[in-house]
Amino acid sequence: MNEAVLLCLIPALPLVGFLLTGLLGKKLGRGLSSWIGTLTVAASFGLALTLFIAHPDGFAASGLGIQLFDWIPAAGLTIAFGLMLDPLSLIMTLVITGIGFLIHLYSIGYMKHDEGAPRFFSFLNLFVFSMLLLVLADNYALMFVGWEGVGLCSYLLIGFWFTKDEYNAAAVKAFVMNRIGDLGFLLGLFVMVATFGSLSFGEVFAKAGAMEAGAPALTLITLMLFVGAVGKSAQIPLYTWLPDAMAGPTPVSALIHAATMVTAGIYMVIRSHVLYDLAPIALTVISVVGLATAIWAGLIALSQRDIKKVLAYSTVSQLGFMFLTLGVGAYSTGYFHVFTHAFFKALLFLAAGSVIHALSGEQDIRKMGGLAKKLPITYITFLVGTLAISGIPPFAGFFSKDAILAAVYARSPLLWGLSIFAAFLTAFYMGRLFILVFHSKDRTTKGVHPHESPWTMTVPLIVLALGSTAAGFLGMPAVFGVPDWMAGFLAPSAGEYAVGLEEGTEWLLMGISTVVVLCGFIFAVLKYGPGKVVPTEDKKTRGPVRWSLRKFRVDEFYDALIVKPLFALSSWLFGTANDRGIDGVVRGTAGLVAWVGGRVRLLQTGNIVFYLFAMTLGVIVIAAVAALG
Amino acid sequence: MGTITLDHYIYLASALFAVGVVGVLIRRNILIMMMGIELMLNAVNILLAATSAFNGDSAGQVFVFFIMLVAAAEIAVGLAIITMIYRNTGSIDVKDYSRLKG
Amino acid sequence: MDFSTLTLEIGAAALALILLVVGLFLPDGKKGQVGIVAALGFAFLLVLSFLAPGSKGPFFMGQYMNDGISVLFKQIFILGSLLVTLMSLRFTRRFEDARGEFYVLLAFSLVGMMGMAGATDFLTLYIALELMSIPLVVLTAFEKGSMRSTEAGMKYVLLGAMSSAILLFGLSFLYGAAGSFGYGAVMAALTGGQTGPLVVIGGIFALAGLAFKVAAVPFHMWSPDIYEGAPVPVTAFLAVASKAAGFAALLRFFPVVLVPLGLGMTTLIVLIAALSMVLGNLTAIPQTNIKRMLAWSSIAHAGYMLLGVMVASFAGAAALVYYLLVYLFANVGAFAAVTAWSELSGSDEISSFKGMWKKSPLISTVFIVSLLSLAGIPPAAGFIGKFFLFVEVAHKGYLWLVALALVMSVVSLYYYVSVIKTLVSEAPEGETSKADIPLALRAVMLVSAVSTVVLGVLPGPVMGYIRNILSTLSS
Repeated sequence: MNEAVLLCLIPALPLVGFLLTGLLGKKLGRGLSSWIGTLTVAASFGLALTLFIAHPDGFAASGLGIQLFDWIPAAGLTIAFGLMLDPLSLIMTLVITGIGFLIHLYSIGYMKHDEGAPRFFSFLNLFVFSMLLLVLADNYALMFVGWEGVGLCSYLLIGFWFTKDEYNAAAVKAFVMNRIGDLGFLLGLFVMVATFGSLSFGEVFAKAGAMEAGAPALTLITLMLFVGAVGKSAQIPLYTWLPDAMAGPTPVSALIHAATMVTAGIYMVIRSHVLYDLAPIALTVISVVGLATAIWAGLIALSQRDIKKVLAYSTVSQLGFMFLTLGVGAYSTGYFHVFTHAFFKALLFLAAGSVIHALSGEQDIRKMGGLAKKLPITYITFLVGTLAISGIPPFAGFFSKDAILAAVYARSPLLWGLSIFAAFLTAFYMGRLFILVFHSKDRTTKGVHPHESPWTMTVPLIVLALGSTAAGFLGMPAVFGVPDWMAGFLAPSAGEYAVGLEEGTEWLLMGISTVVVLCGFIFAVLKYGPGKVVPTEDKKTRGPVRWSLRKFRVDEFYDALIVKPLFALSSWLFGTANDRGIDGVVRGTAGLVAWVGGRVRLLQTGNIVFYLFAMTLGVIVIAAVAALG
Repeated sequence: MGTITLDHYIYLASALFAVGVVGVLIRRNILIMMMGIELMLNAVNILLAATSAFNGDSAGQVFVFFIMLVAAAEIAVGLAIITMIYRNTGSIDVKDYSRLKG
Repeated sequence: MDFSTLTLEIGAAALALILLVVGLFLPDGKKGQVGIVAALGFAFLLVLSFLAPGSKGPFFMGQYMNDGISVLFKQIFILGSLLVTLMSLRFTRRFEDARGEFYVLLAFSLVGMMGMAGATDFLTLYIALELMSIPLVVLTAFEKGSMRSTEAGMKYVLLGAMSSAILLFGLSFLYGAAGSFGYGAVMAALTGGQTGPLVVIGGIFALAGLAFKVAAVPFHMWSPDIYEGAPVPVTAFLAVASKAAGFAALLRFFPVVLVPLGLGMTTLIVLIAALSMVLGNLTAIPQTNIKRMLAWSSIAHAGYMLLGVMVASFAGAAALVYYLLVYLFANVGAFAAVTAWSELSGSDEISSFKGMWKKSPLISTVFIVSLLSLAGIPPAAGFIGKFFLFVEVAHKGYLWLVALALVMSVVSLYYYVSVIKTLVSEAPEGETSKADIPLALRAVMLVSAVSTVVLGVLPGPVMGYIRNILSTLSS
């Protein structure tokens, strides 16, 4: 078959799945519509894999593109409905459909007893479709449709699922915060139209290439686009929706965090790297925001008690790492972390879902513990995920994080110092989570009998665990003497990048980062391991946990010089800075807008005399304006 | 005695229009407010008739007839509504009609 | 004189008269069938507008014009009338003796709107405007026993008459300067340097009168009260067709009569547009009544659409027509959903929407699609409509205006989404009576929702059609 047709089928299949399960869901029944939803995504994955096998270079030389029809025929700016495939979009497609398929498969078991399953699968399919549209689009306008689409779908998946008010509120928050980011994105697009007169990647990049580096228009465009990425990829200050979005079902969290949605911002920046390369100011902003987010979210994750919230903040933190890398210009390295992160974050979420499922919906880690023996498969796979995300060799996260650290070091040792601190935090909070859930004393509520999940749920876990182990070998550093496949593969789309460090330095950096994360992990094991203090109730909490929950206290400062301030900071960040600071500003703005609306409303008195008066006054004022102007 | 120029008509019409506007604004009785609007329309009529005569073009005077006709139709509907509203509430004071607001 | 120029106008007027007579001869219990005849008539006119839109050109010594703009707008008006008629079939049952008149008034108002789209002379403009407005006043006050409906009628007639007087006062100044009522002659005279302060004042008064019809700030105050008080189908008609007619008149009037008055006029319209966007969106937020909320949202949309008028170009006109079409389907969808729901729950307060999703997925889906379109979220059509408009504004160099419009559309999301939030939340009590939606209303909802999605996903064909008609029939 023609390859262009295959390309069109990749997003079309999930769309068909969405329409089938959405319109005929009730007739098809729960089981059938679940499988339709899953298999359409599997088929897309198969198609993407076929294309990849046929072109192992990812169409690097020729590129594969197809323009289906003239989509938006605005005057002087015709935008085609065009899809394209290059190494970057191909690997994104593989990740989205591959991991998406596993998540669908997992959802079959997860949603078995739910009467809303057909609707759920139709939204999942729509989500995958939107994300595929986003990565396969050959112009910014179509990309924006996918961009909005994932926002809308996350709203539908979080909000429609539970009709209770609190979930609904989380969904609205996710949607509106995303829209604030999208506003930036759209503004960027309109500036782009005004500057280049086009929105297609090819034309924009060609015209931008002819411009001078640091041109104000380019800086404006790239910064605006980055605002969009901040919203979508949950960076400071628009990150608070992501942890709140945990209200949705766990497979949705996995989908949002691993394969889709949050990686959209990273993808967009890499895709637009031609523009970013010409806008050094924007790159600096990206690296600062990324690093700040990595540390900030890592600190907050230390004191979280909800298993999914820990993972959510860890996603925010990891995304920060990725942006930091993009900011130093190492696009392919940044993408490599997206790639490995997709595996272990999906794994961690699905394993967490398995734990929650086993405990009949309990999400508080204070009411877990000692689950290692009861949930063996979940336990092993979660361990793999934990080791991978912490960056312990030879798991996937080690290689991607090491590459990031090396790239950052090459730019600035100071940034590297801060990043390694963030890496330490990752290892620590993941270790804490792992120990509290699986090893420490059994604190589960009486009457709950944990049980291992069905095969549709465990198989994806095992596959993802294998992926989390092996994915890192695709991007081994040069010092191992193995070619860095990932960097080579992505080079045509993401630009060439070489760290340019001496071999000895690289080994040293690798050693330091390994020691640091091992310290973090071991520290957590010692702190929360068997026989240690377990944070059961607020009142009984002692030591560091109390610090994480209460405000800063000077007399205990000497107790533990490093951990306690961190926890205090964590709790402050979460309590004060998060709630009253960033979230507060966002909420406050919304409140202000509503308040102004309420005031203005009072003008509409209902008294017609006032209306007549206002009309007369309007004419007079306008006449005055015209007379003066 | 100076001759009457177009400017005089413009002043007269503007003054009449302003009187109409003020009438609409300060009265509370719907009927009187309607009369104020009639006054505004008559100001327009004077202006049209005068400019038409000074321009030597009859179209303006034709327009006057149309305005009179249409205004009659408008007033007819207005009076019908006033009747209805009086039946509903027993008042034709606009102060009593601010149920719809915000 | 070639009377085929007026094919559609004559058709609509004939339809109005036929409906009047049909209503007379139908037996008392069956007056409701006038509505079916009206629907068939409007459908016929719609088909006719595609097959035989009338020959192109001026008519009656340049007082009237049939060109691309007027054909497209007439199609929008007829479509609006058709959908509103179908929405009203159940609603008008409650008026025992006056069911027929409802549709007669609708048809007469349609004739007036067509006239506004075609008018190229102050006299025709004024008569058409009143021919549209007077039936609308009667329709607004149609529920004779309802305090709200009659209060709305009273406000409409007073404010409408006042705005007409202001418009006329402005027109008479322009006439005084140009010595003619024809747009063309006025433009020729004004570009010839006849721009004294009186002429500028005349232009401003005229602009104010037309801004009233499209409900732009600061001439918007009538619309929330009247939208709330009027019966729902009438509100839909006001929001959709009457507003479109105002834009048709502005689209002709602005570039020909006002632009020659100087740059100040463009600044004014930008100012009015910006104010409408800001005030409309802000005030929509605290609303608790859905009709009122949609009224404020329609004020905001008038602001967006004024940008299309401001651009004053071929592409701007095409974008505006497209936006109006998108806006028509979104509003008709929303109002049809409100009609269907208020039949069920007896209320049009937003708080009464709780549990809608459980009770009637159809109404909810249509509602959500419509609201998303109004908010401008892809793939609903609102996004594409805004895109077309804003691209033109950006080309014109008003990037700050685009930024403001985008910011305000994010603000608008606040209230649209909170309606969606309410309708998916659980009902306070678990009654589960099945929704009984009349067939015609169901059809209107489906047509609106499907059109909204199609216009959002595949704008090409319709935009192509608009461009084609505009260029082949333009004068």
